[in-house]
Amino acid sequence: MTEPVLEVRDLHRAFGALKATDGVSLTLRRSEIHALIGPNGAGKSTLIGLIAGNLKPDAGQVVLNGRDVTQADVAARARAGLARSFQVSAVAAELTVLQNVVLAVQGARGQSFRFFRPALANTGLRAAAEAHIARAGLSGRRAIPAGDLAHGERRRLELAMALALAPRAFVLDEPMAGMGPDGAREMTALLDDLRHEAPILLVEHDMDAVFALADRVSVLVSGRIIASGTVAEIRADPEVQRAYLGEERLE
Amino acid sequence: MRRETVLNAVLALGLLAVPLAAQAMGEPFIVTLATKVAILALAGVGLNIALGLGGMVSLGHAAFFGIGGYAMAVLAAPVQAYEPLMTWPFELAGTKSMPVIWVAAMVAGALGALAIGALSLRTSGVYFIMITLAFGQMLYYFAISWPAYGGEDGISIYVRNGFPGLNTLDPIQFFALSYGVLMAALMVSWVLARSGFGLALAGARQNPVRSAALGIRPYSVKLTAFVISGAITALAGALFADLNRFVSPSMLSWQTSGEIMVFVILGGVARLFGPVAGAALFILLEHWLGGFSEYWKLFLGLALLGIVLFARGGLIGTLAGREVAHD
Repeated sequence: MTEPVLEVRDLHRAFGALKATDGVSLTLRRSEIHALIGPNGAGKSTLIGLIAGNLKPDAGQVVLNGRDVTQADVAARARAGLARSFQVSAVAAELTVLQNVVLAVQGARGQSFRFFRPALANTGLRAAAEAHIARAGLSGRRAIPAGDLAHGERRRLELAMALALAPRAFVLDEPMAGMGPDGAREMTALLDDLRHEAPILLVEHDMDAVFALADRVSVLVSGRIIASGTVAEIRADPEVQRAYLGEERLE
Repeated sequence: MRRETVLNAVLALGLLAVPLAAQAMGEPFIVTLATKVAILALAGVGLNIALGLGGMVSLGHAAFFGIGGYAMAVLAAPVQAYEPLMTWPFELAGTKSMPVIWVAAMVAGALGALAIGALSLRTSGVYFIMITLAFGQMLYYFAISWPAYGGEDGISIYVRNGFPGLNTLDPIQFFALSYGVLMAALMVSWVLARSGFGLALAGARQNPVRSAALGIRPYSVKLTAFVISGAITALAGALFADLNRFVSPSMLSWQTSGEIMVFVILGGVARLFGPVAGAALFILLEHWLGGFSEYWKLFLGLALLGIVLFARGGLIGTLAGREVAHD
Protein backbone atom coordinates (compact mmCIF):
# COMPACT_ATOMS: atom_id res chain seq x y z
CA MET A 1 0.00 0.00 0.00
CA THR A 2 1.24 3.48 -0.77
CA GLU A 3 2.22 5.80 2.01
CA PRO A 4 -0.65 7.94 3.29
CA VAL A 5 -0.75 11.57 2.16
CA LEU A 6 -1.80 12.77 5.57
CA GLU A 7 -1.23 10.88 8.75
CA VAL A 8 -2.25 11.80 12.28
CA ARG A 9 -0.46 9.81 14.97
CA ASP A 10 -1.79 9.49 18.50
CA LEU A 11 -2.78 13.13 18.81
CA HIS A 12 -3.66 14.52 22.23
CA ARG A 13 -4.97 17.90 23.20
CA ALA A 14 -6.66 18.89 26.43
CA PHE A 15 -8.33 22.13 27.46
CA GLY A 16 -8.03 22.03 31.24
CA ALA A 17 -9.71 18.81 32.33
CA LEU A 18 -11.47 18.33 28.99
CA LYS A 19 -9.68 15.91 26.70
CA ALA A 20 -10.88 17.32 23.40
CA THR A 21 -8.59 15.08 21.40
CA ASP A 22 -7.67 11.88 23.18
CA GLY A 23 -5.28 9.73 21.22
CA VAL A 24 -6.58 10.13 17.69
CA SER A 25 -4.82 8.40 14.81
CA LEU A 26 -6.05 8.43 11.26
CA THR A 27 -4.73 8.35 7.72
CA LEU A 28 -5.73 9.86 4.44
CA ARG A 29 -4.69 7.87 1.38
CA ARG A 30 -4.34 8.92 -2.19
CA SER A 31 -7.62 9.62 -4.05
CA GLU A 32 -9.86 8.78 -1.16
CA ILE A 33 -12.51 10.66 0.71
CA HIS A 34 -12.22 9.92 4.39
CA ALA A 35 -15.22 11.24 6.26
CA LEU A 36 -15.04 12.22 9.89
CA ILE A 37 -18.38 12.20 11.65
CA GLY A 38 -19.41 12.57 15.24
CA PRO A 39 -22.00 14.28 17.41
CA ASN A 40 -21.65 17.94 18.40
CA GLY A 41 -18.89 18.42 20.93
CA ALA A 42 -17.10 15.26 19.84
CA GLY A 43 -13.92 17.22 19.17
CA LYS A 44 -14.09 17.54 15.39
CA SER A 45 -13.19 21.22 15.35
CA THR A 46 -10.28 20.67 17.72
CA LEU A 47 -8.99 17.86 15.54
CA ILE A 48 -9.19 20.06 12.44
CA GLY A 49 -7.43 22.85 14.30
CA LEU A 50 -4.66 20.44 15.23
CA ILE A 51 -4.31 19.16 11.69
CA ALA A 52 -4.36 22.64 10.11
CA GLY A 53 -1.98 24.08 12.70
CA ASN A 54 -4.26 26.55 14.48
CA LEU A 55 -3.76 24.49 17.63
CA LYS A 56 -0.64 22.79 18.89
CA PRO A 57 -1.05 19.25 20.23
CA ASP A 58 0.03 18.23 23.74
CA ALA A 59 1.40 15.04 22.21
CA GLY A 60 1.37 13.24 18.89
CA GLN A 61 2.31 14.07 15.32
CA VAL A 62 0.85 15.35 12.11
CA VAL A 63 2.65 14.05 9.03
CA LEU A 64 2.01 15.49 5.58
CA ASN A 65 3.59 13.71 2.63
CA GLY A 66 6.03 11.93 4.89
CA ARG A 67 7.11 15.19 6.50
CA ASP A 68 6.46 15.88 10.16
CA VAL A 69 4.67 19.25 10.22
CA THR A 70 3.66 19.16 13.90
CA GLN A 71 5.78 22.21 14.68
CA ALA A 72 4.92 24.13 11.51
CA ASP A 73 2.45 27.02 11.69
CA VAL A 74 -0.75 27.37 9.67
CA ALA A 75 0.86 29.27 6.79
CA ALA A 76 3.72 26.79 6.48
CA ARG A 77 1.30 23.84 6.38
CA ALA A 78 -0.78 25.62 3.76
CA ARG A 79 2.29 26.07 1.60
CA ALA A 80 3.24 22.44 2.18
CA GLY A 81 -0.05 21.55 0.50
CA LEU A 82 -2.74 21.39 3.15
CA ALA A 83 -5.89 23.17 2.00
CA ARG A 84 -8.68 23.65 4.47
CA SER A 85 -12.08 25.16 4.19
CA PHE A 86 -13.95 26.61 7.09
CA GLN A 87 -17.22 25.66 8.71
CA VAL A 88 -18.35 29.26 8.66
CA SER A 89 -17.48 30.76 5.30
CA ALA A 90 -14.22 32.61 5.63
CA VAL A 91 -13.38 34.87 2.73
CA ALA A 92 -12.18 38.45 2.48
CA ALA A 93 -15.61 40.06 2.19
CA GLU A 94 -14.57 43.36 0.60
CA LEU A 95 -12.44 41.73 -2.07
CA THR A 96 -13.98 40.42 -5.26
CA VAL A 97 -14.21 36.74 -6.08
CA LEU A 98 -11.24 37.13 -8.40
CA GLN A 99 -9.17 38.99 -5.81
CA ASN A 100 -9.88 36.32 -3.21
CA VAL A 101 -8.68 33.55 -5.49
CA VAL A 102 -5.65 35.52 -6.70
CA LEU A 103 -4.84 36.01 -3.00
CA ALA A 104 -4.92 32.25 -2.56
CA VAL A 105 -2.77 31.59 -5.62
CA GLN A 106 -0.09 34.06 -4.60
CA GLY A 107 -0.20 32.80 -1.02
CA ALA A 108 0.42 29.24 -2.16
CA ARG A 109 3.25 30.36 -4.41
CA GLY A 110 4.84 32.45 -1.65
CA GLN A 111 4.51 35.60 -3.74
CA SER A 112 2.83 37.84 -1.20
CA PHE A 113 5.77 40.21 -0.79
CA ARG A 114 5.73 41.81 -4.22
CA PHE A 115 5.42 45.53 -3.76
CA PHE A 116 5.27 46.89 -7.29
CA ARG A 117 3.45 44.75 -9.77
CA PRO A 118 -0.33 45.07 -9.57
CA ALA A 119 -1.64 41.68 -8.48
CA LEU A 120 -4.47 41.59 -11.01
CA ALA A 121 -2.16 42.53 -13.88
CA ASN A 122 -0.04 39.48 -13.18
CA THR A 123 -1.26 37.18 -15.95
CA GLY A 124 0.30 34.09 -14.39
CA LEU A 125 -1.62 34.55 -11.13
CA ARG A 126 -4.73 35.66 -12.88
CA ALA A 127 -4.96 32.80 -15.35
CA ALA A 128 -4.54 30.25 -12.57
CA ALA A 129 -7.18 32.03 -10.49
CA GLU A 130 -9.68 32.18 -13.34
CA ALA A 131 -9.28 28.45 -13.98
CA HIS A 132 -10.12 27.69 -10.34
CA ILE A 133 -13.07 30.06 -10.44
CA ALA A 134 -14.39 28.34 -13.55
CA ARG A 135 -13.96 24.95 -11.89
CA ALA A 136 -16.04 26.11 -8.94
CA GLY A 137 -18.68 27.42 -11.34
CA LEU A 138 -18.30 31.09 -10.44
CA SER A 139 -17.02 32.52 -13.73
CA GLY A 140 -19.95 34.90 -14.11
CA ARG A 141 -19.44 36.26 -10.61
CA ARG A 142 -15.75 37.02 -10.50
CA ALA A 143 -16.11 40.83 -10.20
CA ILE A 144 -18.61 40.59 -7.32
CA PRO A 145 -17.34 41.40 -3.80
CA ALA A 146 -17.29 38.15 -1.83
CA GLY A 147 -19.48 39.69 0.83
CA ASP A 148 -22.30 40.13 -1.70
CA LEU A 149 -22.37 36.47 -2.74
CA ALA A 150 -25.20 34.13 -1.83
CA HIS A 151 -24.39 31.51 0.76
CA GLY A 152 -23.92 28.64 -1.65
CA GLU A 153 -21.73 30.76 -3.91
CA ARG A 154 -19.55 31.66 -0.99
CA ARG A 155 -19.04 27.97 -0.23
CA ARG A 156 -17.97 27.53 -3.84
CA LEU A 157 -15.58 30.45 -3.53
CA GLU A 158 -14.08 28.74 -0.48
CA LEU A 159 -13.56 25.69 -2.60
CA ALA A 160 -11.98 27.69 -5.42
CA MET A 161 -9.57 29.17 -2.87
CA ALA A 162 -8.74 25.72 -1.54
CA LEU A 163 -8.16 24.51 -5.11
CA ALA A 164 -5.87 27.47 -5.72
CA LEU A 165 -3.45 26.11 -3.15
CA ALA A 166 -2.76 23.18 -5.53
CA PRO A 167 -3.06 21.05 -2.44
CA ARG A 168 -1.76 17.60 -1.55
CA ALA A 169 -4.67 17.12 0.83
CA PHE A 170 -8.00 18.83 1.49
CA VAL A 171 -9.48 19.25 4.94
CA LEU A 172 -13.04 20.39 4.38
CA ASP A 173 -15.07 21.46 7.39
CA GLU A 174 -18.77 20.98 6.60
CA PRO A 175 -18.72 22.17 2.98
CA MET A 176 -22.47 21.49 2.67
CA ALA A 177 -23.46 23.46 5.75
CA GLY A 178 -26.46 25.66 5.11
CA MET A 179 -26.88 24.56 1.50
CA GLY A 180 -30.20 23.63 0.00
CA PRO A 181 -30.71 20.12 -1.46
CA ASP A 182 -29.74 21.25 -4.97
CA GLY A 183 -26.62 22.99 -3.76
CA ALA A 184 -25.64 19.96 -1.70
CA ARG A 185 -26.10 17.69 -4.72
CA GLU A 186 -23.89 19.88 -6.90
CA MET A 187 -21.29 20.12 -4.16
CA THR A 188 -21.34 16.32 -3.79
CA ALA A 189 -20.56 15.94 -7.49
CA LEU A 190 -17.79 18.51 -7.23
CA LEU A 191 -16.17 16.77 -4.27
CA ASP A 192 -16.44 13.40 -5.96
CA ASP A 193 -14.41 14.84 -8.81
CA LEU A 194 -12.00 16.65 -6.52
CA ARG A 195 -10.70 13.51 -4.80
CA HIS A 196 -8.62 12.66 -7.85
CA GLU A 197 -6.76 15.92 -7.42
CA ALA A 198 -6.04 15.36 -3.76
CA PRO A 199 -7.62 13.20 -1.08
CA ILE A 200 -10.23 14.79 1.15
CA LEU A 201 -10.70 14.60 4.87
CA LEU A 202 -14.35 15.49 5.02
CA VAL A 203 -16.07 16.65 8.18
CA GLU A 204 -19.75 16.72 7.39
CA HIS A 205 -23.13 16.53 9.08
CA ASP A 206 -25.01 15.72 5.89
CA MET A 207 -25.17 11.92 6.16
CA ASP A 208 -26.51 11.48 2.64
CA ALA A 209 -23.40 13.19 1.31
CA VAL A 210 -21.10 11.25 3.62
CA PHE A 211 -22.57 7.90 2.67
CA ALA A 212 -22.55 8.81 -1.02
CA LEU A 213 -18.96 10.04 -1.09
CA ALA A 214 -16.85 8.45 1.58
CA ASP A 215 -14.50 5.57 0.94
CA ARG A 216 -13.91 5.30 4.63
CA VAL A 217 -15.66 6.79 7.64
CA SER A 218 -14.24 7.44 11.08
CA VAL A 219 -16.52 8.16 13.99
CA LEU A 220 -15.29 10.57 16.64
CA VAL A 221 -16.96 10.57 20.05
CA SER A 222 -15.59 12.39 23.10
CA GLY A 223 -12.23 12.98 21.47
CA ARG A 224 -11.71 9.30 20.49
CA ILE A 225 -12.25 7.45 17.27
CA ILE A 226 -14.64 4.69 18.25
CA ALA A 227 -14.94 3.10 14.83
CA SER A 228 -13.36 3.34 11.41
CA GLY A 229 -14.27 1.49 8.25
CA THR A 230 -16.26 1.47 5.05
CA VAL A 231 -19.69 3.02 4.88
CA ALA A 232 -21.32 -0.40 5.17
CA GLU A 233 -19.24 -1.36 8.19
CA ILE A 234 -20.00 1.90 9.96
CA ARG A 235 -23.71 1.65 9.27
CA ALA A 236 -23.73 -1.82 10.75
CA ASP A 237 -21.59 -1.03 13.79
CA PRO A 238 -23.79 -1.22 16.90
CA GLU A 239 -21.57 1.04 18.93
CA VAL A 240 -21.79 3.74 16.29
CA GLN A 241 -25.54 3.42 16.10
CA ARG A 242 -25.79 3.84 19.81
CA ALA A 243 -23.32 6.72 20.07
CA TYR A 244 -24.25 8.71 17.07
CA LEU A 245 -26.57 7.59 14.35
CA GLY A 246 -29.16 6.35 16.79
CA GLU A 247 -29.66 9.60 18.56
CA GLU A 248 -29.61 11.87 15.57
CA ARG A 249 -31.21 9.96 12.78
CA LEU A 250 -32.19 6.42 11.93
CA GLU A 251 -32.83 5.56 8.37
CA MET B 1 -13.28 57.92 -15.40
CA ARG B 2 -14.20 57.06 -11.84
CA ARG B 3 -15.53 59.89 -9.74
CA GLU B 4 -12.88 59.32 -7.14
CA THR B 5 -10.14 59.73 -9.75
CA VAL B 6 -11.60 63.07 -10.78
CA LEU B 7 -11.86 64.13 -7.16
CA ASN B 8 -8.26 63.12 -6.53
CA ALA B 9 -7.11 65.17 -9.51
CA VAL B 10 -9.08 68.17 -8.25
CA LEU B 11 -7.46 67.85 -4.83
CA ALA B 12 -3.97 67.44 -6.25
CA LEU B 13 -4.36 70.41 -8.60
CA GLY B 14 -6.14 72.52 -5.98
CA LEU B 15 -3.35 72.04 -3.48
CA LEU B 16 -0.93 73.15 -6.20
CA ALA B 17 -3.01 76.05 -7.54
CA VAL B 18 -3.83 77.75 -4.23
CA PRO B 19 -0.24 78.49 -3.15
CA LEU B 20 0.73 79.44 -6.71
CA ALA B 21 -2.09 81.98 -6.81
CA ALA B 22 -1.20 83.17 -3.31
CA GLN B 23 2.40 83.62 -4.41
CA ALA B 24 1.27 85.69 -7.39
CA MET B 25 -0.82 87.86 -5.09
CA GLY B 26 1.99 88.24 -2.60
CA GLU B 27 0.49 86.20 0.24
CA PRO B 28 3.35 84.07 1.58
CA PHE B 29 1.34 83.12 4.67
CA ILE B 30 -1.11 81.15 2.53
CA VAL B 31 1.81 79.44 0.82
CA THR B 32 3.04 78.36 4.25
CA LEU B 33 -0.43 77.11 5.16
CA ALA B 34 -0.52 75.02 1.97
CA THR B 35 2.92 73.65 2.85
CA LYS B 36 1.56 72.66 6.23
CA VAL B 37 -1.35 70.89 4.56
CA ALA B 38 1.03 68.99 2.28
CA ILE B 39 3.26 67.89 5.16
CA LEU B 40 0.42 66.90 7.47
CA ALA B 41 -1.23 65.06 4.57
CA LEU B 42 2.04 63.20 4.11
CA ALA B 43 1.91 62.09 7.75
CA GLY B 44 -1.66 60.96 7.10
CA VAL B 45 -0.63 59.05 3.96
CA GLY B 46 1.79 57.16 6.19
CA LEU B 47 -0.87 56.39 8.79
CA ASN B 48 -3.38 55.45 6.09
CA ILE B 49 -1.17 52.56 5.01
CA ALA B 50 -1.39 51.10 8.51
CA LEU B 51 -4.93 52.19 9.33
CA GLY B 52 -6.67 52.07 5.98
CA LEU B 53 -4.92 49.28 4.11
CA GLY B 54 -3.85 47.22 7.11
CA GLY B 55 -6.64 47.91 9.58
CA MET B 56 -4.11 48.73 12.30
CA VAL B 57 -5.61 51.48 14.45
CA SER B 58 -2.41 53.07 15.67
CA LEU B 59 -2.77 55.83 18.20
CA GLY B 60 0.99 56.13 18.37
CA HIS B 61 1.96 57.53 15.00
CA ALA B 62 3.18 60.71 16.68
CA ALA B 63 6.11 58.53 17.72
CA PHE B 64 7.22 58.25 14.10
CA PHE B 65 6.33 61.87 13.33
CA GLY B 66 8.48 62.93 16.29
CA ILE B 67 11.27 60.49 15.44
CA GLY B 68 11.46 62.18 12.04
CA GLY B 69 11.50 65.62 13.66
CA TYR B 70 14.19 64.70 16.14
CA ALA B 71 16.23 62.95 13.43
CA MET B 72 16.34 66.32 11.71
CA ALA B 73 17.35 68.08 14.94
CA VAL B 74 20.01 65.54 15.81
CA LEU B 75 21.63 65.94 12.40
CA ALA B 76 21.22 69.71 12.00
CA ALA B 77 21.80 70.98 15.55
CA PRO B 78 25.54 70.15 15.67
CA VAL B 79 26.07 72.10 12.46
CA GLN B 80 24.65 75.31 13.90
CA ALA B 81 26.68 74.75 17.09
CA TYR B 82 29.85 74.15 15.04
CA GLU B 83 30.30 70.76 16.68
CA PRO B 84 30.64 67.28 15.27
CA LEU B 85 27.62 64.98 15.61
CA MET B 86 29.80 62.46 17.39
CA THR B 87 33.45 61.81 17.97
CA TRP B 88 33.44 58.23 19.13
CA PRO B 89 33.95 55.56 17.79
CA PHE B 90 34.57 57.67 14.70
CA GLU B 91 34.08 61.32 13.99
CA LEU B 92 30.89 62.18 12.16
CA ALA B 93 29.72 65.65 11.22
CA GLY B 94 26.09 66.73 11.25
CA THR B 95 24.36 67.77 8.05
CA LYS B 96 22.06 70.46 6.74
CA SER B 97 21.24 68.50 3.61
CA MET B 98 17.56 67.59 3.34
CA PRO B 99 18.02 64.42 1.26
CA VAL B 100 20.40 63.00 3.85
CA ILE B 101 18.08 64.04 6.67
CA TRP B 102 15.11 62.47 4.92
CA VAL B 103 16.87 59.15 4.51
CA ALA B 104 17.96 59.24 8.15
CA ALA B 105 14.44 60.14 9.29
CA MET B 106 12.89 57.31 7.26
CA VAL B 107 15.40 54.75 8.48
CA ALA B 108 14.86 55.88 12.08
CA GLY B 109 11.09 55.82 11.61
CA ALA B 110 11.22 52.37 10.03
CA LEU B 111 13.34 50.98 12.87
CA GLY B 112 11.03 52.56 15.44
CA ALA B 113 8.02 51.07 13.68
CA LEU B 114 9.71 47.69 13.49
CA ALA B 115 10.30 47.64 17.25
CA ILE B 116 6.90 49.07 18.20
CA GLY B 117 5.03 47.06 15.58
CA ALA B 118 6.75 43.76 16.44
CA LEU B 119 5.43 44.03 19.99
CA SER B 120 2.11 45.77 19.35
CA LEU B 121 0.98 43.43 16.57
CA ARG B 122 0.91 40.55 19.03
CA THR B 123 -2.28 42.18 20.25
CA SER B 124 -5.28 43.43 18.36
CA GLY B 125 -8.34 45.63 18.70
CA VAL B 126 -8.44 47.93 21.68
CA TYR B 127 -5.20 46.50 23.09
CA PHE B 128 -3.37 47.44 19.91
CA ILE B 129 -4.65 51.01 20.21
CA MET B 130 -3.56 51.20 23.83
CA ILE B 131 -0.13 49.68 23.35
CA THR B 132 0.73 51.97 20.42
CA LEU B 133 -0.47 54.90 22.54
CA ALA B 134 1.77 53.72 25.38
CA PHE B 135 4.83 53.51 23.13
CA GLY B 136 4.12 57.00 21.81
CA GLN B 137 3.89 58.37 25.33
CA MET B 138 7.13 56.64 26.30
CA LEU B 139 8.95 58.48 23.54
CA TYR B 140 7.18 61.72 24.48
CA TYR B 141 8.42 61.57 28.06
CA PHE B 142 11.84 60.50 26.88
CA ALA B 143 12.05 63.62 24.69
CA ILE B 144 10.92 65.83 27.61
CA SER B 145 13.75 64.52 29.74
CA TRP B 146 16.41 64.71 27.01
CA PRO B 147 18.36 67.87 27.86
CA ALA B 148 20.68 67.72 24.85
CA TYR B 149 17.76 68.66 22.61
CA GLY B 150 16.04 71.19 24.80
CA GLY B 151 13.94 68.86 26.91
CA GLU B 152 10.43 70.20 27.28
CA ASP B 153 11.29 73.45 25.46
CA GLY B 154 12.41 71.75 22.29
CA ILE B 155 15.15 73.06 20.06
CA SER B 156 15.25 75.66 17.30
CA ILE B 157 17.10 75.09 14.05
CA TYR B 158 17.58 78.67 12.93
CA VAL B 159 18.28 78.15 9.26
CA ARG B 160 16.13 75.78 7.23
CA ASN B 161 18.04 72.82 5.86
CA GLY B 162 19.06 72.94 2.24
CA PHE B 163 18.11 71.03 -0.85
CA PRO B 164 20.46 70.97 -3.85
CA GLY B 165 19.43 73.59 -6.39
CA LEU B 166 16.66 75.15 -4.29
CA ASN B 167 16.38 78.04 -1.87
CA THR B 168 14.36 76.32 0.83
CA LEU B 169 13.84 79.55 2.77
CA ASP B 170 11.68 80.79 -0.08
CA PRO B 171 8.17 79.63 0.96
CA ILE B 172 7.06 78.68 -2.55
CA GLN B 173 10.18 76.62 -3.17
CA PHE B 174 9.82 74.80 0.14
CA PHE B 175 6.18 74.23 -0.73
CA ALA B 176 7.14 72.73 -4.09
CA LEU B 177 9.51 70.38 -2.33
CA SER B 178 6.91 69.27 0.23
CA TYR B 179 4.31 68.88 -2.49
CA GLY B 180 6.67 66.75 -4.56
CA VAL B 181 7.37 64.48 -1.61
CA LEU B 182 3.63 64.19 -0.91
CA MET B 183 2.93 63.20 -4.52
CA ALA B 184 5.74 60.64 -4.43
CA ALA B 185 4.31 59.15 -1.22
CA LEU B 186 0.84 59.03 -2.76
CA MET B 187 2.31 57.19 -5.71
CA VAL B 188 3.97 54.67 -3.37
CA SER B 189 0.69 54.22 -1.52
CA TRP B 190 -1.20 53.71 -4.79
CA VAL B 191 1.24 51.17 -6.17
CA LEU B 192 1.34 49.36 -2.83
CA ALA B 193 -2.43 49.07 -2.58
CA ARG B 194 -2.71 47.40 -5.98
CA SER B 195 0.34 45.17 -5.65
CA GLY B 196 0.40 41.56 -4.60
CA PHE B 197 1.50 42.77 -1.20
CA GLY B 198 -1.48 45.13 -1.03
CA LEU B 199 -3.80 42.22 -1.75
CA ALA B 200 -2.14 40.12 0.94
CA LEU B 201 -2.51 43.06 3.34
CA ALA B 202 -6.19 43.41 2.49
CA GLY B 203 -6.61 39.70 3.13
CA ALA B 204 -4.75 39.93 6.44
CA ARG B 205 -6.97 42.85 7.49
CA GLN B 206 -10.28 41.33 6.49
CA ASN B 207 -9.68 37.74 7.44
CA PRO B 208 -6.38 36.89 9.15
CA VAL B 209 -7.38 33.30 9.93
CA ARG B 210 -8.21 32.60 6.31
CA SER B 211 -5.06 34.33 5.11
CA ALA B 212 -2.92 32.05 7.23
CA ALA B 213 -4.72 29.05 5.75
CA LEU B 214 -3.69 30.37 2.33
CA GLY B 215 -0.04 30.35 3.28
CA ILE B 216 0.20 34.05 4.16
CA ARG B 217 1.43 35.05 7.61
CA PRO B 218 -0.77 37.99 8.64
CA TYR B 219 1.74 39.10 11.27
CA SER B 220 4.62 39.47 8.80
CA VAL B 221 2.45 41.21 6.22
CA LYS B 222 1.03 43.66 8.76
CA LEU B 223 4.42 44.36 10.34
CA THR B 224 5.91 45.16 6.92
CA ALA B 225 3.07 47.59 6.23
CA PHE B 226 3.50 49.14 9.67
CA VAL B 227 7.20 49.74 8.99
CA ILE B 228 6.49 51.39 5.62
CA SER B 229 3.81 53.47 7.33
CA GLY B 230 6.20 54.56 10.10
CA ALA B 231 8.90 55.53 7.60
CA ILE B 232 6.54 57.79 5.63
CA THR B 233 5.19 59.46 8.76
CA ALA B 234 8.76 60.03 9.96
CA LEU B 235 9.59 61.71 6.67
CA ALA B 236 6.63 64.01 7.27
CA GLY B 237 8.02 64.72 10.74
CA ALA B 238 11.38 65.77 9.31
CA LEU B 239 9.66 68.13 6.87
CA PHE B 240 7.37 69.51 9.57
CA ALA B 241 10.37 70.27 11.77
CA ASP B 242 11.96 72.04 8.84
CA LEU B 243 8.79 74.01 8.16
CA ASN B 244 8.74 75.32 11.74
CA ARG B 245 12.53 75.29 12.10
CA PHE B 246 11.72 73.97 15.54
CA VAL B 247 11.34 70.56 17.18
CA SER B 248 9.68 69.93 20.51
CA PRO B 249 8.18 66.99 22.39
CA SER B 250 4.70 68.15 21.33
CA MET B 251 5.39 66.47 17.98
CA LEU B 252 5.43 63.20 19.93
CA SER B 253 2.37 63.84 22.05
CA TRP B 254 -0.73 61.71 21.77
CA GLN B 255 -2.68 64.75 20.60
CA THR B 256 -0.49 64.69 17.51
CA SER B 257 -1.32 61.01 16.98
CA GLY B 258 -4.97 61.90 17.31
CA GLU B 259 -4.69 64.75 14.81
CA ILE B 260 -3.01 62.55 12.22
CA MET B 261 -5.80 60.04 12.71
CA VAL B 262 -8.38 62.83 12.37
CA PHE B 263 -6.92 63.77 8.96
CA VAL B 264 -7.37 60.20 7.78
CA ILE B 265 -10.88 59.80 9.17
CA LEU B 266 -12.07 63.24 7.99
CA GLY B 267 -10.81 62.57 4.50
CA GLY B 268 -11.74 58.92 4.24
CA VAL B 269 -10.05 55.83 5.65
CA ALA B 270 -8.28 53.71 3.01
CA ARG B 271 -8.96 56.32 0.32
CA LEU B 272 -5.80 57.31 -1.53
CA PHE B 273 -6.40 61.05 -1.21
CA GLY B 274 -8.26 60.81 2.11
CA PRO B 275 -5.39 62.26 4.14
CA VAL B 276 -5.00 65.15 1.67
CA ALA B 277 -8.67 66.06 1.90
CA GLY B 278 -8.61 65.60 5.67
CA ALA B 279 -5.50 67.68 6.30
CA ALA B 280 -6.78 70.45 4.01
CA LEU B 281 -10.14 70.53 5.76
CA PHE B 282 -8.45 70.49 9.16
CA ILE B 283 -6.22 73.45 8.34
CA LEU B 284 -9.10 75.35 6.72
CA LEU B 285 -11.28 74.82 9.78
CA GLU B 286 -8.43 75.77 12.06
CA HIS B 287 -8.02 79.09 10.29
CA TRP B 288 -11.61 80.00 9.50
CA LEU B 289 -13.15 78.85 12.73
CA GLY B 290 -10.04 79.85 14.65
CA GLY B 291 -10.74 83.38 13.46
CA PHE B 292 -14.24 83.35 14.93
CA SER B 293 -13.58 81.59 18.16
CA GLU B 294 -10.73 80.09 20.07
CA TYR B 295 -13.05 77.17 20.76
CA TRP B 296 -12.80 76.12 17.11
CA LYS B 297 -11.95 72.57 18.08
CA LEU B 298 -15.48 72.25 19.42
CA PHE B 299 -16.72 72.69 15.86
CA LEU B 300 -14.04 70.37 14.56
CA GLY B 301 -15.30 67.81 17.04
CA LEU B 302 -18.85 68.24 15.81
CA ALA B 303 -17.73 67.91 12.20
CA LEU B 304 -15.83 64.75 13.07
CA LEU B 305 -18.81 63.35 14.92
CA GLY B 306 -21.02 64.04 11.92
CA ILE B 307 -18.61 62.33 9.56
CA VAL B 308 -18.18 59.25 11.71
CA LEU B 309 -21.94 58.94 12.24
CA PHE B 310 -23.30 59.86 8.82
CA ALA B 311 -20.48 59.72 6.26
CA ARG B 312 -18.33 56.73 7.04
CA GLY B 313 -16.21 57.06 3.93
CA GLY B 314 -15.16 60.53 5.07
CA LEU B 315 -15.07 63.44 2.68
CA ILE B 316 -13.90 61.36 -0.26
CA GLY B 317 -16.40 58.61 0.43
CA THR B 318 -19.27 61.12 0.62
CA LEU B 319 -18.31 62.82 -2.62
CA ALA B 320 -17.16 59.81 -4.63
CA GLY B 321 -19.49 57.12 -3.33
CA ARG B 322 -18.75 53.54 -2.45
CA GLU B 323 -15.39 52.24 -3.48
CA VAL B 324 -15.76 50.26 -6.68
CA ALA B 325 -13.80 47.07 -7.01
CA HIS B 326 -11.23 47.64 -9.71
CA ASP B 327 -11.01 44.62 -11.98
